[in-house]
Amino acid sequence: MEERNLTQNESLEIITNMIKETRNNLEKDGGSIYLLWGYVWLFVSLAIYFLLMKTGDYRIQWLWFTIPLIGYPGMIYLLKKEKRGATTFAGRVIGNIWIVIGVVAALLSLYMFIDYNAFPILFTMALLINTGVAISGLIIKFKPIIVAGFLGILLSFVILILSGLDQILIFSLFAVIMLIIPGHILNSASRKSQKA
Amino acid sequence: MFKDLDPLLHSQLRLAVISILISVEEADFVYLREKTGSTGGNLSVQLEKLSEAGYIEIEKGFSGKRPRTLCHITEIGRNAFEQYVEALKSYFNTSA
Repeated sequence: MEERNLTQNESLEIITNMIKETRNNLEKDGGSIYLLWGYVWLFVSLAIYFLLMKTGDYRIQWLWFTIPLIGYPGMIYLLKKEKRGATTFAGRVIGNIWIVIGVVAALLSLYMFIDYNAFPILFTMALLINTGVAISGLIIKFKPIIVAGFLGILLSFVILILSGLDQILIFSLFAVIMLIIPGHILNSASRKSQKA
Repeated sequence: MFKDLDPLLHSQLRLAVISILISVEEADFVYLREKTGSTGGNLSVQLEKLSEAGYIEIEKGFSGKRPRTLCHITEIGRNAFEQYVEALKSYFNTSA
């Protein structure tokens, strides 16, 4: 782009082109983060389900803590790798919402050390995270994420109806509904908007 | 009646930079260079001019070990852009 004076039409064209460039939905580039959390969640919960079924040893539940132990460093790595160069208002709001959800989720998990019967942890976690997914979807106005979030909120209550190992199986299903499927859809939408 | 167009914004690269910064909260030097298709040297000069006029703020820092220049639009810049668009409209309204 060279430095010269413009006609009014050229000015208008530059303004519209540049605004369009930034509207290529920077916020929709987060698919890989959904996938990271989704697959870690799925594999850990399925592992816990099968190990509990085989051994019946409830100390296996400690494995839940491997989700944040793998998820957070992985997310930090992905965020550094996918440096976006620009921050939008929506992107910052979504980031902050997930920071709050992350802190609440950590506190809820830690409370389990004090009293593991205080509240149904799988239900609470599922409801909390699905709420985050639905809010994120509404902010970026992306239907698959909105649907996944609200579907997840509704299905969270199924955990209350079920008991024992079935709860864990449903919990692992959430990873697919609210993180893995939306993550793949987000990635494909992001690739399409980059090509356009 | 044609309104005067702000000479600081009535230039290809500076207008492109302000148009980007009006739509995002902040953008770094590399992002601006890629989106505007400009050379680094030219972009540096134009950013400096916009900064001297108070239209944008430039923060120089580090991202890990790499230097990173972040830019964001100021209230003065936002007002100047809005006035520029208003002035631009006057040309189209008259010719319509």
